[in-house]
Amino acid sequence: MTRSPDILEGLLRSPSGDDAVDRKALAGLLVEIAQRLKPELRAQPNGVHPSDLQLEQLRTLLVGREIETLWRLHGVMDDPERLAAAIGQVLPTAIAQATADARMGHVLAPVMEKAAESSIRNDPTTLVNILYPTIVPAIRKSIGETIDETFQRLNQTLKYSLTWRGLKWRLEAWRTGRPFAEVVLKHTLVYQVEHVFLVHRHTGLLVAHAAAENAVSQDPQLVSSMLVAIQDFVRDSFSGAELQGLDSVQLGELRLWSEPGPFAALVAVIRGDPPEGLHDAMRSTLSRIHAERHHALENFNGDSSGLGDVEARLRELVALGAHEQPRASVARVIVLGSLLLVLALAAAWAAWWWYNQQLWEGYLSRLRAQPGIVVTEAGKRNGKFVVTGLRDPLAIDPLTLVGAAGIDPARVVAHFDPYQALDPQSVLRRLEASLNPPPSVSLAIDGNRIVAQGSAPRPWLDRAHAVAKTLPAGAPSFDLAGVRNEAEADERQWQAYVEWLRTEPGIVITQSEMRDGRFVLSGLRDPLAIDPLTLLGAAGIDPARVTASFEPYQGLDPQFVRERLEATLNPPPGVTLVVEGDRIVAQGSAPSPWISRARKVGSALPAGAPVLDLSGMRDISEGALGKMRDAIQARSINFDSGKSLPSAGQEQVLDEIATDLNELVKLSSILHAVIRVTLTGHADSQGQGTSNLSLSVARAEAVRALLKKRGVDPDLLQVRGAGQLEPLQDETAAEASARSINRRVSFSVAFEEEP
Amino acid sequence: MTAALQKKICMLGGFSVGKTSLVKRYVHSVFSESYLTTVGVKIDKKTVDLADRTVNLILWDLAGEDDINSFRIGNLRGAAGYVLVADGTRPSTLDVALSLRERVEAEYGPLPFVLLLNKSDLTEQWAVSDTELAGLRERGWWVQPSSARTGEGVEDAFKDLAVRTTS
Repeated sequence: MTRSPDILEGLLRSPSGDDAVDRKALAGLLVEIAQRLKPELRAQPNGVHPSDLQLEQLRTLLVGREIETLWRLHGVMDDPERLAAAIGQVLPTAIAQATADARMGHVLAPVMEKAAESSIRNDPTTLVNILYPTIVPAIRKSIGETIDETFQRLNQTLKYSLTWRGLKWRLEAWRTGRPFAEVVLKHTLVYQVEHVFLVHRHTGLLVAHAAAENAVSQDPQLVSSMLVAIQDFVRDSFSGAELQGLDSVQLGELRLWSEPGPFAALVAVIRGDPPEGLHDAMRSTLSRIHAERHHALENFNGDSSGLGDVEARLRELVALGAHEQPRASVARVIVLGSLLLVLALAAAWAAWWWYNQQLWEGYLSRLRAQPGIVVTEAGKRNGKFVVTGLRDPLAIDPLTLVGAAGIDPARVVAHFDPYQALDPQSVLRRLEASLNPPPSVSLAIDGNRIVAQGSAPRPWLDRAHAVAKTLPAGAPSFDLAGVRNEAEADERQWQAYVEWLRTEPGIVITQSEMRDGRFVLSGLRDPLAIDPLTLLGAAGIDPARVTASFEPYQGLDPQFVRERLEATLNPPPGVTLVVEGDRIVAQGSAPSPWISRARKVGSALPAGAPVLDLSGMRDISEGALGKMRDAIQARSINFDSGKSLPSAGQEQVLDEIATDLNELVKLSSILHAVIRVTLTGHADSQGQGTSNLSLSVARAEAVRALLKKRGVDPDLLQVRGAGQLEPLQDETAAEASARSINRRVSFSVAFEEEP
Repeated sequence: MTAALQKKICMLGGFSVGKTSLVKRYVHSVFSESYLTTVGVKIDKKTVDLADRTVNLILWDLAGEDDINSFRIGNLRGAAGYVLVADGTRPSTLDVALSLRERVEAEYGPLPFVLLLNKSDLTEQWAVSDTELAGLRERGWWVQPSSARTGEGVEDAFKDLAVRTTS
């Protein structure tokens, strides 16, 4: 023992020093003896009568030093400073020894409280510094757990607050008056406490153990020791990391939570995701066990019999999660009911509003999608839907869409200003309205073009092309390449026909066109030219579709001129009119009257017309016919004076003349000439004139008859009497021979055109 | 849960003295031996039936260390007794065992223990003399040759410990 010099102690025990006598024992013995001798001395505390001198002497003798000591002590006691110094020396030991006394705590507690209070008041940092190493880890741990718990609750709240289940739980929380988090916790116990070990901290031995019914259990005694061993291992290996050692271990689905207590630690093996609140439950169980079985735990020596109640406590932890369902109160049910009703009404109104809004949005989006409609503003005013914007006159009427969108048209106020939309749809619509395409034409949108397909009449096509050119800039282009001219075949036929006509001589086309499926043709036509209508059949055109009107005119075409000359000149058979270049050449032989007539006609031809060339014509009277004419004219029949019949010997001449005449007739008929023979009777100057005239006629008649007799056609023979006026010889100058020469019938032959 | 008495018993000994194989056949074990190398401790249980009760010896098989300083004495906290194991063919392990005992006694005071000199089946290599054994026994120690192969001494050792720790 290492004790400091202690006066009180020294008084009670043997005094230190060199005195071998046990003075204390001696004094006590003396006092006891004195008391035995005189029992009244017991009343006196010192057991010594002060007046007793002997005793006083004895006492001085025996206990003089002690008295001295007592005085010295007295002095110490009286002097506070010395007393304080003395007590101060023993106080720690005294307190140390008194700790076992339960009262010590009671006595010291208020003092400590006061001291702590005053210390904190003076300077809190001192205490903070003192407590820091102890408290901070605890606070840290506590804060950590709280934050974990908060997050967990937040997670659960977020997870469940917006679901039907979440609403149900919120209702339940409100109904039962419990925190929502607790209700959520109750319903979301997605964990199971499978084992709870109460492990004796000192020995690592298992105090008690409880397991869930379905939990797989290894030997709990081994498990608990192993847990302690591992905790020790961790604590040793990572000293200072956590003073409490391992308080949480996670192995896959399994968690191991440990709560340290003064004597025993509570270890829970949990499957799943336990709420942080389980820590509280464990702590409270642990502290309850400690409170109830404090002693048993402190002195645990491996004998766990008699700790059944501890096990029961652990079972409560294992059974965690079985909450009972609190009943709802009637009043709350009523409130709840009306609340639900209000909610339902509000929801119905909201749904109705939402539905209307959807309809309106739908209508607007449909409207915006319409070509030719621009919505500039849309909204609600005074309970009505208002929409304003621009509208192409050809675009759909916005109000017709209202009904289709399921909105009452009376609730919609629409105002649209007209404009010309250039989007393909609207342009297409406008083209359809203005061009009025035939059914055989279809208009379609292809990108930024409007494409026409099909076949159409020429006029429509022309109109469409014109419109295409006048489309405004920025508008889609109008492609008409795909439209066939539907009358193209007819047109081609017609063109061919007209071309054909143009090549025909004597026809001048001044106008040719197709109009409404009919062909109209007009121009000039030489009467001698071909009739245009006769060509229609050959051209494959229905004559009923053709209206033709031709003015007559004289064509100057050589052929026509020739024909016309033929018609007017009526050339005799021996004459041919032939076109040679721009000349009309007449060839052959004709009687001279014809030739002279032809010459007249030829010179009367209009300027620019072909020339009639008559240089190739021969007079029919030249040649054989001329010789025969001359032979006949050279002859005459002589008469005797005053006689109307030829003189004798004239028969031979008459025969010759008749033969010649017949031959001439034959030859002229071959030459298509007509001959006319004039028989002229002559008389001599004897006799009277009148009788001479009649005599001459008679003579001519007689010859005609004689010739007729000889086979000459009398119709060829004309008779005339010249009297004495055309004498062959002058009778005055001559005699009778001259008169006889003058009494004759002469012949004159003329060629005439055939009638 | 069993109401039987439990006692924490530590198994101590030098490196490779055969602690683990010595008890392997006689104990209830649920943990693999890898704990020995990772955590340094492996817990087994030996149930000993005494006349009046059953004692569960919770055996803390501590990793064998020839270096006494690295031995984690803290593992013996709360132990009711211990088993010292040495290799009878290697006298140095006996020294280790003895110094371990001293270390334990210095830390925790006198505790019941048994000393097993293992590998008694390897008689030709046996290196501990009988006098040495007798000397140890004279100190009042319970000393016994043992063999993992034959099982010699094992049951006795545990029974002795059970008796002594519960008396």
